[in-house]
Amino acid sequence: MVKLRAKCILAGDATVGKSALCQLFRSDGTHFQKNYTMTTGVEVVVKSVNLPESNDSVEFFIFDSAGKDIFLDSVEKLWGQPSVLCLVFDVTSEQSFKSCAKWLERARAHTQGLQMPGVLVGNKTDLSVRRTVDTESAREWALSQGLEYFETSVKETENHEVPFRTLALAFHNIYREKLEVIQALA
Amino acid sequence: MIDAALSSSGAQVVLATSSDENHPPENIIDGRTDTFWISTGMFPQEFIIRFSNLIKVTLVTIQSYNVQSLRIDKCSSPDTTDFEKVLEKEFEQTEGQLQSEDFSLGGTRATHLRFIIKSGYDHFVSVHRVMVEGTNENHM
Ligand SMILES: Nc1nc2c(ncn2[C@@H]2O[C@H](COP(=O)(O)OP(=O)(O)OP(=O)(O)O)[C@@H](O)[C@H]2O)c(=O)[nH]1
Ligand SMILES: [Mg+2]
Repeated sequence: MVKLRAKCILAGDATVGKSALCQLFRSDGTHFQKNYTMTTGVEVVVKSVNLPESNDSVEFFIFDSAGKDIFLDSVEKLWGQPSVLCLVFDVTSEQSFKSCAKWLERARAHTQGLQMPGVLVGNKTDLSVRRTVDTESAREWALSQGLEYFETSVKETENHEVPFRTLALAFHNIYREKLEVIQALA
Repeated sequence: MIDAALSSSGAQVVLATSSDENHPPENIIDGRTDTFWISTGMFPQEFIIRFSNLIKVTLVTIQSYNVQSLRIDKCSSPDTTDFEKVLEKEFEQTEGQLQSEDFSLGGTRATHLRFIIKSGYDHFVSVHRVMVEGTNENHM
């Protein structure tokens, strides 16, 4: 039995629903934050995920990061040595989707050459009439960047756990690989 | 001269910030390099070795994998209250073999040594063995 610890950078433009997503995840789907409270730095949210078919788990330290540019410097100071990345955009905002390339580049600047499994999350699918980013183009871009793509509606409590489960599995796989390497050495 | 960091001579790992049941911190002080303790994610990571006695330490050797930056603190009282920094070192990355680093401590007195791994060359690092050469100081 092992409990891994993973530092998860949660990033994306302001108001796309990052804080709402991680609060919903933390509360096991019971708490939707309806009113917007701007994140002004980094809020660390701790939450564990049990892995299927083992007694292993991953404890996430989610670095819920402000999306507004003015906080960027102080936010990036806390991004050192990330384990995994969760990028979020709002499917009703083309701009928030375009910004993901920039957020990805910023996060990758902190990996020091290490693998960083990542997911791209298109949020607010409940607002289907106002939708401007289609599933296919989002998925295509995600794949081209080595990210897995998911769509969520935090408001409707839809799919909010899958991105984190995926990251937990990917990080656990890295652990097993590294363990094998070390065992072969010893 | 004795190796004070052996469980067989009464040493204990009193704290470790990670634990995989299959690779417990006791593996650091079992006198073998084929068993190890592995960190399970994020930095810093640390472990504390308590000796059975006050030890006058001459040499510390650590065998590890993918450790990048290490700090060693010591404490010379019976409990783990007052640690002070002894040294800090950047390790070279090795491939296909363990890192092995020696530190001369010049007779520093210690009841505990704390090893703080501040960063790694990978998400997970392992420590296979710590040897602490020194002599027993009986008045503790
Ligand atoms: N309709 C709808 N609204 C959502 C959804 N998810 C979040 N919201 C709302 O969007 C607003 C912004 O959400 P936040 O989670 O605070 O946004 P953020 O990405 O953390 O923003 P910053 O902290 O400024 O970076 C809030 O009013 C949320 O209730 C969703 O799936 N659907
Ligand atoms: Mg926020």
